[in-house]
Amino acid sequence: MDQFFHRMGDGSAVQMTAKQIMADLVEGSEDAADRGKIPPLAKEEYDYLLDIFCSPHKFISVEPGREVILTYDAATLKIRRVGVHVDRIQALQIYEKIMGADTMELAHVDYSYKPVKPIATFEQPILEQALLATHIPLFYGAQPNLGLYSQPDGPFPNPSELMPMGKIKEAQESYEAALEDLVKDIVFVGSLMYESGADGINLDTAGAAGDADFLATLIATEKLKAKYPDICIEIGMAGEFVLGMHSQLTYKGERLAGMYAHQQVKMAEAAGATIFGPVSNTNTSKSAAWNLARAITFMKACGEIANIPIHPNMGMGVGGVTVNDQPPVDVVSRSSAAMTTLCRLDGL
Amino acid sequence: MADLNTITQALIAGDKDQVTGLVQKAVDENVAANKILNEGLIKGMDIVGDRMQEGDMFIPEVLMSARAMSAAVAILKPLLGEDESVVTGKVVIGTAKGDMHDIGKNLVSMMLESAGFEIIDLGVDVAPEQFVQAVKDHQAQIVGLSALLTTTMPMMQTTIDALKQSGVREQVKVLIGGAPVNQEFADKIGADGYAPDAGSASKLAKQIMS
Repeated sequence: MDQFFHRMGDGSAVQMTAKQIMADLVEGSEDAADRGKIPPLAKEEYDYLLDIFCSPHKFISVEPGREVILTYDAATLKIRRVGVHVDRIQALQIYEKIMGADTMELAHVDYSYKPVKPIATFEQPILEQALLATHIPLFYGAQPNLGLYSQPDGPFPNPSELMPMGKIKEAQESYEAALEDLVKDIVFVGSLMYESGADGINLDTAGAAGDADFLATLIATEKLKAKYPDICIEIGMAGEFVLGMHSQLTYKGERLAGMYAHQQVKMAEAAGATIFGPVSNTNTSKSAAWNLARAITFMKACGEIANIPIHPNMGMGVGGVTVNDQPPVDVVSRSSAAMTTLCRLDGL
Repeated sequence: MADLNTITQALIAGDKDQVTGLVQKAVDENVAANKILNEGLIKGMDIVGDRMQEGDMFIPEVLMSARAMSAAVAILKPLLGEDESVVTGKVVIGTAKGDMHDIGKNLVSMMLESAGFEIIDLGVDVAPEQFVQAVKDHQAQIVGLSALLTTTMPMMQTTIDALKQSGVREQVKVLIGGAPVNQEFADKIGADGYAPDAGSASKLAKQIMS
């Protein structure tokens, strides 16, 4: 039986038969369907995925006319991280003029709203210069990062220390107090950047510290939208699932803990977000086929229910892409092409 | 008349005061302690375990239910006869040598305790010989090993080897858990079981003892 080049979720190369790939596609999709209580993929979708995984071509793309917007978060940091020593404005220009990015984000290396707050007035002139030096829509963005508000990094008692001591109520109260400060910081920084001309505000890796982190993101979005009705806000998630670190927080009557992408997007819509970036995480011990079928099952359900544009996260460890510092082009192109072909989405 | 289903629901809600109040009321109404335990409390913790496994309940809620369970068991313990002991089995538990991460291990301990197991918690960074000694000292039936780091996973194998070399491997079942491990790894190192979360660990331990 023919063997095809394939990869595991950690990027390692393996040989698999078409039968093995198909079995993994079905298993991956069914895992998502089971967790999210959403439909698995249909036969023709499995067949399409099998075709691209069995294709001998290194690079896979979409049919002309099916291209979507490519947008990047934290890219001003990523280009320096790989050793290209340019400043942030030059980084934005490289992405726009050389790499064809459709939207970009200016970000500070600390990449969280709390540390940006005291230097926000230093960030404003850089944003203003960046806006003059680029043509594409330019976001200012950072992470909500609620973890920075508990001791030793912040003023509030650390819930992860309180919980093992049996102080559950106190841990929950600490999350509730911390999220109020986080909301203030996001609104403060977001307002300054919007007033400096940012085309949008990005709240990246929302929910990283669990349901309280996600709730703060939603409330901050609501407040910014009330203050500036025309503001564009993108909420990009940290992971596929909202962790119940507090566990009992609700937004618009819905419990946030345990929500998957198709439920999260409804919350983002209700808060007034303009774009939503859903996530599906990669399992390194499963094959690329398993991961991609699973990611598409989640993203498809999200896209079908969304009333705002969605830009699924595609990159190292998300969207079916393997966990490599430099994700291989075979996997990135297959995942991107499949996501764009099979899901109702507006960008990646 | 005491309603055991109400106890179950209060336990799932993690309402310690309500659970202890209802359990005391049931005791006052002469409902047998083992009936309250099995049909009210353990039934509730089974549902908590299932919901945790399904992603419908989370750590803070599980902790609240476990705390309510402990308080209720404290009321019932003096009333249970020798043959109605709440002890399902003895578990020696700890994190593998070199691993200081104990949140998952503590949660598993709580779930097992709520399911009626006696827990001998050796804490974190536990050497293989400490596991061996504890198994001998307490005549445990289960050893629970937890690791969060890929670098401490090999110590699980070393611990199992130490149990073999000391001649106690046959008397215990070894269950492993933690973020980097899976069923495949459990099979590879010769563990008897793997549980991905605290709810599953409790179920698995009960299966082993049944």
